[in-house]
Amino acid sequence: MPVTYLDAIREAQAKALAEDDRVFIYGQDVAEFGGAFKATKGLADRFPGRVVNSPISEDAIVGAAIGAAIEGMRPIVEMQFADFSSLAFNQIVNQSATHFWRTGVPCPITIRLPSGGTEGSGPFHSQSVESIYAHYPGLIVLTPATVEDAYSMLLEAIRIDDPVIFCEHKFLYYHLKADALPAVSLPVGKARIARFGRHATIVAYSAMVHEALRAAREMAEEGWEIEVVDLRSAKPIDTDTILASVARTGRLLCVGESFPWGGLTAEVISRVVGEGFHLLDAPPKRLNSKDTPIPYHPNLWRVHRPTWQAIAAATRNLLRL
Amino acid sequence: MSQSLPQSTLEAAGSPPAGTDRSVEAYRWMVLARVFEDKIAALYRAGKIVGGVYLGRGQEAFSASLGMQLDRARGDVFCGLIRDQAGRMAFGEPLIDSARTYLGSAEGPMRGRDGNIHRGRPSKGMPAMISHLGAMIPVVNGMLMALRHRKAQGVAGGVTIGDGGTSTGAFHEALNQAAVEKLPLVLAVANNQYAYSTPVSEQFACDDLADRAAGYGVRGYSIDGTDLDACLSAFTEAIARARAGEGPQMVVGKLLRLAGHGEHDDARYIPESKRSEPHGGDCLALARAKILAEGRAGAEAVAEIEKSAQERVEEAVARAQSEPAPNPYRESWHALATKHLSEGTTEV
Amino acid sequence: MPRVPLCMPQLGESIAEAAIREIGIAAGDDISADQEVFQVETDKAMMGVTTPATGRVLEIIAKVDESYAVGATLAYLEVTDEEIQRAGLTKPSDTAPIRPVKPRTEEDQAAENALADGDDGQSRPHFAIDESEFIEIDVNPEVKPTVEGLPVPASATGATYLSPRMKARMEELGLNAADLSGVAGSGAGGRVTIEDFEKFIREIEKNKMTAASPMRIAVADSMRRSWTRPLATVGMPVSLDAVLAHRKASDPKSGIALYAIRALALALSENTAVAGRLIGERIVHPKAIDIGFAVEVEDGVLVPVMRDVADKTLAELTAPYDELVRRGRDRRLPPEAMGTGIATVTNFGTFGIVWATPIPLPEQNLVLGLGAGRKVPHWDDAAGEFVPRVEADLTLSFDHRILDGGAAGRLLQKIDSLLQRPETL
Repeated sequence: MPVTYLDAIREAQAKALAEDDRVFIYGQDVAEFGGAFKATKGLADRFPGRVVNSPISEDAIVGAAIGAAIEGMRPIVEMQFADFSSLAFNQIVNQSATHFWRTGVPCPITIRLPSGGTEGSGPFHSQSVESIYAHYPGLIVLTPATVEDAYSMLLEAIRIDDPVIFCEHKFLYYHLKADALPAVSLPVGKARIARFGRHATIVAYSAMVHEALRAAREMAEEGWEIEVVDLRSAKPIDTDTILASVARTGRLLCVGESFPWGGLTAEVISRVVGEGFHLLDAPPKRLNSKDTPIPYHPNLWRVHRPTWQAIAAATRNLLRL
Repeated sequence: MSQSLPQSTLEAAGSPPAGTDRSVEAYRWMVLARVFEDKIAALYRAGKIVGGVYLGRGQEAFSASLGMQLDRARGDVFCGLIRDQAGRMAFGEPLIDSARTYLGSAEGPMRGRDGNIHRGRPSKGMPAMISHLGAMIPVVNGMLMALRHRKAQGVAGGVTIGDGGTSTGAFHEALNQAAVEKLPLVLAVANNQYAYSTPVSEQFACDDLADRAAGYGVRGYSIDGTDLDACLSAFTEAIARARAGEGPQMVVGKLLRLAGHGEHDDARYIPESKRSEPHGGDCLALARAKILAEGRAGAEAVAEIEKSAQERVEEAVARAQSEPAPNPYRESWHALATKHLSEGTTEV
Repeated sequence: MPRVPLCMPQLGESIAEAAIREIGIAAGDDISADQEVFQVETDKAMMGVTTPATGRVLEIIAKVDESYAVGATLAYLEVTDEEIQRAGLTKPSDTAPIRPVKPRTEEDQAAENALADGDDGQSRPHFAIDESEFIEIDVNPEVKPTVEGLPVPASATGATYLSPRMKARMEELGLNAADLSGVAGSGAGGRVTIEDFEKFIREIEKNKMTAASPMRIAVADSMRRSWTRPLATVGMPVSLDAVLAHRKASDPKSGIALYAIRALALALSENTAVAGRLIGERIVHPKAIDIGFAVEVEDGVLVPVMRDVADKTLAELTAPYDELVRRGRDRRLPPEAMGTGIATVTNFGTFGIVWATPIPLPEQNLVLGLGAGRKVPHWDDAAGEFVPRVEADLTLSFDHRILDGGAAGRLLQKIDSLLQRPETL
């Protein structure tokens, strides 16, 4: 029975609830209904009283999770959409992120953000906000791209003593399947070489890993061997793995679904230029969405975000330099 | 509508009757807070304190009455805001924590990483406030949810806010959340008539903030926040009801801020006449007069309370002032508890 | 009559497929627009699928309890042209099948998995990404992905533009841009990429290689640094008869080059600016008239320097000069003869060379060359006939930023006139 990315998220939560009495889930429609995306389906029955519906109050949801964490719990918050986390911004960045540093008392909360675009979702149900949270000291930001990572990284996120922003991609929920849940896994904080190559490195994360792999596969037919690095974790960034890849290829394209100004792709390039300038044989490039809100219509949306075709075109340009 | 309940109801809720001894105990916390804050204000004007100094002058009775009646030993939590020196100490915050945080001692609970009223001991039921108003209410809600999960019986959580803070979305979300979850939350709203310079007429349009309680399905209380006995009684009842599972209680105390927003503010926008209006008095002077007039404590005992407060404050301030300041070269510049995931400091 | 496909709708964010639970129509049924005809189930909910127009059911493709991808055709309807217009179903895709109609089978799955595994070439069971599970998104062919053009270095042919990596790698190997002059570049504007470079390095390994001597490396370094300037050379034939006659009458005899050294020193003493260096917007004048001369040694050249040549006569200079030549050949120059002069004289004529374009040392502006003397017919205007004379070409190489051809020619003429009166040297 294949396991989807969404199943992996549900199973990771089930395992965490079963193994640790301190874990509970709090969010809108998460209890009997099972969540807007069914990421908590069946969990309220299996764990009575530990999968709790909240009012539509993002600020209070995260605030309460922080309070519970201070009192020794390990709450998991489900935001209905990553876009709505802006309503909890204050609690996330000012309360949870500063808590350990200010008081010495850890704040172990996991905030699940259904992120990224799908067809027809429009400006307020499509955003990728990892860069915003990665900007703040005191937060860990994870961006799993595979079923295996969705499972193992969520389990690890719940065990981590710090607030973790868990950016799960909505498009991958049902589209990505694996044969089974993993028994072993790479730890949080390590990037993964998703495909080996020698002509150029594409650094990507979340759903963009799959677009990059598709681009790499297409370009293999032209004789190019493209390496794809799956960041897995937006913060911390595994700079060593990226630099090792650029050392092999000398060329770097960094791809993100989020908006182009600043952000994770810019940070990756900044680090490669700062620490590995001597490894670059061509100017490092990045590819993000367009600098507009995310459009509703599929024709506009497909061009707004980087697709495998756009990634391949950018990579070919990079290889021409 | 706010509800004022007869004495018999208080007893029915299982609370001890208001006794004279408690008002003297409360007075002790009020004096200690007043003396400490006067000292801190003096140090601020002497250039010994960087950042802000925010006083609870005029709110000591309201604040102490809540903090004093909560007990961490039975699991209670209390989160004070910027004018709760009295309540914080009455709940159990050591005086030295306040002195160290104001004076930036590396030995304090915040170790120079945060200052003044932004302090707490979260693992001892005292969350450290952030500056954003309303933000601490859901945190106390969450602590109470955790206590409920651990099957803690009869606990209550106190959290304070001012009139201005009731205008935030966070306040609304959190009070509604507490009501939906039927949490044993006691929300103390100190209506001190000004939010920085903004008078309540420009802050809200209802007659009494306690009127809002009904809209949330919460029991509301409207009291004279300058009357110590009224404060003690109201919080006795509110806490008892919260402990008994009746859900959140919102106590609105009317009083007057007898200081600037902070010590950088001379509050010239508050007309002098306010002081002679109802709720414009000094709760400390009123409590002292009543205690002496009714013989709850003798003049000698009151003088001893005041002398003791002076001595304790002098000692705490002297100690904190002589302690080392934080050393930036020894500071752990890591914001994460999980050290191996910390990106650390960018070397310049 | 047009055929209208009835497709699996997108029933919720991120939903990829749905299973048919009920089919409420049969082929031949009349149906009206917006009629619920299928019940389908997603992971999220049970939903009804409705018809886009009024018409008749032509064919039902979907089967109960099979799953179909979003967009898959579930049935075909027959709809009148009038109804097509009324319902606004006028795009080509509204009346043509746009997706494969066959439900995905386990065989399809296995085949795609095998393809994906084979393509990746890596077997990592726990982290393999099964791309085959992605539903293909058909990008509208009219909508091209937009990628901004990337900047390309202009006129970067060869090793003129060096990437940071090229620079680091060359530093690592101790190479200079000049070493790569023969490498063809395949990058933008013909620049040498790191791959071109590594290939070149691998290729030269196939040749015979010998180590260059320290002297060779020192000369190479000096010449490469000097070549960063715009150098020019001018030349002029001069008669050596007077010098040769003077030399014949002298004892001890001075080398021919020493006459040139002394003449150059005297000429420069009148105007030191011509031997100056241009640094920024200022000419830096030499401090003293110290002249070097080239001495060939094994696998290279040494340049001993004589100090304050303008202040000493030829006779006084003869013995020290001979001593420096001897010690230079032994590579045992005294410390005062090492270091920099303001100009150099090179007597390439000793190799039978009549003309050359010597390169000045990097810290100097001028190098005076002396070609081989040879007896040539010279037209004597006074006698009205050719007369034999010994003649050599004097060359002067200089930094064209500081001197022009005219100034260089005047300096040569001055030297020539001094050489015609050797007794004054």
